[in-house]
Amino acid sequence: METAQSKISFTINGKKVERRVRSSMLLIDFIRNELKLKGTKPGCLGGECGACTVLVDGVAVNSCLYLVINVDGKSVTTVEGLSGEEQSLDVVQLSMVEHGAVQCGFCTPGMVMAIKSFKSQCDHNHHTPDREEIKKNLEGNICRCTGYVKIIDAVEALF
Amino acid sequence: MNYNIIGKRIPKIDAGDRVSGKSVFGYDIELPGMLHGAILRTKYPSAIIKSIDISKAKKLAGVECVITADNVDTENLNFRKDHPVLKKGEVNCIRDEIAAVAAVSKEIAEKALELIEVTYVERTGIFDPLEALKKDAPQINKFSKGDNGNKNISEAFHYEHGDLAEEKKKSACIITRQYVLPKVTPTCLSPSSITANYSTVDDELTLYSSTQVPFLYQREISQVLKMDPSKIRVIQPIIGGGFGTKLDIHPFEPICALLSIKTGKPVQILFSRKEEFIHSAIRQSMVIDLTTGADKNGKFTFREVKIIKDNGAYTSWGVKTSFVIMQTFSSLYQVPACVYDADAVYTNNVFAGSIRGFGNPQATFALERNIDLMAEELGMDRAEIRLINANFPGEISGQGLEYHSCGHKPALEAVIKHSGYFTRNKKNNQGRYKRGIGLASMLHVGGGAKIYPSDGCGTTLKLDTYGYLTIITGSSEIGQGSETVLAMMAAEELGIDLKKIKVINTDTNVKPWDVGVHASRTSFVAGNSVLGALKKLKEKLSDKAAQLLNTSLEDLVFENGTIRSEKTGNSFKIDKIVRELHFKPPHELCEVSYYYEPSSEFQDKNFKGNVSSCYAFAAQAVEVEVDTLTGKVDVLHVYVGQDVGKVLNPLGLEGQIEGGVVMGLGYALSEEMIFENGYLRNFSFHDYKVPTARDIPEIHFYPIETHEKTGPYGAKGMAEAPLVPTAAAIANAVSNILGVEINSLPITPENVLKAISNKQSDQG
Amino acid sequence: MDFRTISPQTTEELLEAIKQNQGKHFRFGAGYTDLIPELEMQMENGLIVINLAKLKDSNFTSIFLSEDGIRIGALTTMTDVLSNKHLQKFPVLIEAVESFASVQIRSVATVGGNLCTASPAGDVSCALVALGAVSEILIANGQIRTVPLTEFFTGVKTTVLKKNELLRSVLIPHQKSAERILSGFIKIGNRNSMEIALASLAYHITTDKNGIITSAGTAVGSVAETIRYTESACEFLLGKNMDQLSEEDKETFADNVLKYANPISDIRASAWYRHQVLWNISKSIL
Repeated sequence: METAQSKISFTINGKKVERRVRSSMLLIDFIRNELKLKGTKPGCLGGECGACTVLVDGVAVNSCLYLVINVDGKSVTTVEGLSGEEQSLDVVQLSMVEHGAVQCGFCTPGMVMAIKSFKSQCDHNHHTPDREEIKKNLEGNICRCTGYVKIIDAVEALF
Repeated sequence: MNYNIIGKRIPKIDAGDRVSGKSVFGYDIELPGMLHGAILRTKYPSAIIKSIDISKAKKLAGVECVITADNVDTENLNFRKDHPVLKKGEVNCIRDEIAAVAAVSKEIAEKALELIEVTYVERTGIFDPLEALKKDAPQINKFSKGDNGNKNISEAFHYEHGDLAEEKKKSACIITRQYVLPKVTPTCLSPSSITANYSTVDDELTLYSSTQVPFLYQREISQVLKMDPSKIRVIQPIIGGGFGTKLDIHPFEPICALLSIKTGKPVQILFSRKEEFIHSAIRQSMVIDLTTGADKNGKFTFREVKIIKDNGAYTSWGVKTSFVIMQTFSSLYQVPACVYDADAVYTNNVFAGSIRGFGNPQATFALERNIDLMAEELGMDRAEIRLINANFPGEISGQGLEYHSCGHKPALEAVIKHSGYFTRNKKNNQGRYKRGIGLASMLHVGGGAKIYPSDGCGTTLKLDTYGYLTIITGSSEIGQGSETVLAMMAAEELGIDLKKIKVINTDTNVKPWDVGVHASRTSFVAGNSVLGALKKLKEKLSDKAAQLLNTSLEDLVFENGTIRSEKTGNSFKIDKIVRELHFKPPHELCEVSYYYEPSSEFQDKNFKGNVSSCYAFAAQAVEVEVDTLTGKVDVLHVYVGQDVGKVLNPLGLEGQIEGGVVMGLGYALSEEMIFENGYLRNFSFHDYKVPTARDIPEIHFYPIETHEKTGPYGAKGMAEAPLVPTAAAIANAVSNILGVEINSLPITPENVLKAISNKQSDQG
Repeated sequence: MDFRTISPQTTEELLEAIKQNQGKHFRFGAGYTDLIPELEMQMENGLIVINLAKLKDSNFTSIFLSEDGIRIGALTTMTDVLSNKHLQKFPVLIEAVESFASVQIRSVATVGGNLCTASPAGDVSCALVALGAVSEILIANGQIRTVPLTEFFTGVKTTVLKKNELLRSVLIPHQKSAERILSGFIKIGNRNSMEIALASLAYHITTDKNGIITSAGTAVGSVAETIRYTESACEFLLGKNMDQLSEEDKETFADNVLKYANPISDIRASAWYRHQVLWNISKSIL
């Protein structure tokens, strides 16, 4: 039978969450409005700007185009999940800071998550990407301040 | 001069919070008991409103307040006070606000909007400024005073210098062209937001606003709402992009305030991306008719300019772009005569705003295209004609701009050299892909711009007993990195660690006055202000230190958190000196205030005068490749030579240059707001095409240091400049490569292919 | 946006859900990258979404080699296609997928979704049409019917699918062994990423060792109501020597491609441009 509400159980930033949610609720709304994790940014809500990028099972997705019911049983990481107890910032975040890849900062959390996913995949395949590949992997994240150069520099320095 | 911090690559002091998602943007604010506001806007760009029925909306459960022009008491908004907050009787552009709702949730507020019944009688709108100028055209804005010769001219600017007739006689070549520039929008990554919180107890209104000009904002909001300005507290949460869009007040802001005043509760309005596209400030479209001349040696003789700007239905600060554009025509390169007219014409289009570059990208596009055409006609090299006419140090332009420092020629020389202009531009260019290089320069204010009675900035410094410094600056950080530069200056002067410096800049109840973020002025004006305050602070510390160290003031050095005597080598920690001042006689805190006013002057009624303390010059060379089968233009390299006075923070400076160039690239190649009869047709990132990471060229930056005597450490304003000449240089490159004339933007594949095809049919 | 969902996990549950809801208004949801923006723009009252994200049926979710060709499940994502080793021999498909949206969207958007959305601009669909792929449609009674993709699209955003059917997979039939392959996807846009094609051309042409063209598949996007297979252009090439095509041959080929183009003018581009650029790129591939 079709349902207006669904029970979901998943982990977010390493912590288990169980909730009843509206079946049509978007992942970004759950993250921002229910969990109050405001690091994930609603830039366009149309999958065009990438500011709302989060990781689902380690893979970057637009949380504005993802139903929260479909993270059931999965693991979600938001930008808040990268700052651990041992280290205040992840290597991706440190590199962004160091290379001047941040201006207004609204695209930044989504950028960080897209880069995090890319970095894990490259590491997994023992692959060192060139600048063109880096750009290709940032194509879904719009930045209007930096002209992307410093962001690409920050990614390049990770390898 | 050797510096410890100035000139070093220093990451932004707020970057850590940004990358970790900890920064609270305006869009992220939640206040206890907060309501959600939504705005009903017109269905038609031009219509009579017969009636508005809000009765059903008011009855919807969860709705706390519905406002229309009938139940609020407000003054008009914006530069000419020609813009009602809520519209009554008629609507004049597709942005027009008719009613607003505050409700317990966004969904309910939006539902309530659907229940408001408006009866319209649709009118034929006027969307072409030339139509609006016709005698029989109706008056579009009923508040227009019609004091500029036509009821539909909002502002008219006339300027001239030199003897036009005489200079025309001297001209060996005269080029006349028309340039058509589109409307574009900066698409700040965060859609607009505001949260208003009115206290019925003490009549205080707190606005969490993304304004770039908090004090002008406070004053104008007070006028609009008929409140005491000091009862309005403006708090500036982190802004997700500004680019000039937050210079004007937009109706949603007083609307949100009104909803909070009426309900006595906090109210928040958040724009969707679609609203951001339609309802936020844009760069205005222009038609520029330009005639320019040069003598047989290529020396420029005159310029004659007539500009029609689409003002839209209301008049924003953006109308003042005529003033910056005038400067480019009167004073970029040496030119003995200039006659300039610019009219901002009311239409039923969305109204223009103030966007980074402030009219200069449009002006520079026209001028630099004409320069290429003059070179061609004279049989001169395009670089040569620019070099012989370049501005020079010591020049006072026809308009009265004083170039005590001027890196125009070195900037041109740098990009000509590094781009390989003379070698690479001559390559054989047969086949599908053709390459070439285009040039353009620009002039912009570099030391503020006196367009308000004061162009100054206040600073208060507070050095605490632990040796930490708090800089309370009037200026605002909108992502450009100015607060980092201010902190660097303090670290440099006081010899204390950057980590011990805090910058407070977000609360009008706390910070001293500043005119706001515009005109590339913050590092210059706020920087000079901080340096003035630091001087006072150092005097205070030095007096005490000299006494403690038993030496003279000249003997003291500030370093490593101490003040040291050069002679004896003895030193005191700075915090110790603060404690000595505080806890022992004279029992004084280590706090100082300083207000800096730039040396610029108000221009006279003929627009003559030195409006800025100094001027920024830049040149760009772009190498492009055109695919002649698809018309696609690929910009391979952009070489930027820019007179920045002095590099304060290379990391931040490069970021501004790169971001500006890419914004200029979007303006050149792909961005255009497409309007049909007053309706915007492309209101998503899907259809409005900003550059992606895969569209960017290699950007090569050559800072020119001219050590401007009025600038902090010799620096000038720089942040608008990089986007100004980019489109012009690209259009020049494409035109030269293909032997066509690209005289409008954007240079889409279609427009290029059309130009190629027209050329072929002309020849065929 | 408000709707109810059914999330079948097995094919039986899926078929049951389809049968149960024949009298109601329902849509299928797979990657949601088209459905969510569409519903955000215009919500449909009383909508039920049959959520395919949890379906565990390898016919839907895998790419595998079979006797008759390579079968791509409708729920395989674009990223799955890019990383599949069997599909690397079809540059037309790989290039089309690479040109599609962004890495975030490719990770969730499905091949079936691209086909069923039936956009005239569908990149991956265009490549699959050029490859002569066949749709395999699951009917609520459990049977499968097949329809060549050349006949799959019936108009803008419409397909042959009936209310009691859904796309299960597409089959790329085995190609004749070839000495040389000329295969690629050209997408025309105003920028290099995140584009909707203003015009697109998918081509997959093979030759024998003498350079004689033994098979040719070309399709065009964004120039007609649907993606179109340019049959006469393909026939024109068959039997010709790839290395000895004259300028006139190339132009005849382009003229033939253009026969299938009936572009419109919209905010993205004019009909004139679509026409012109399609002719230019068609000629350029040979």
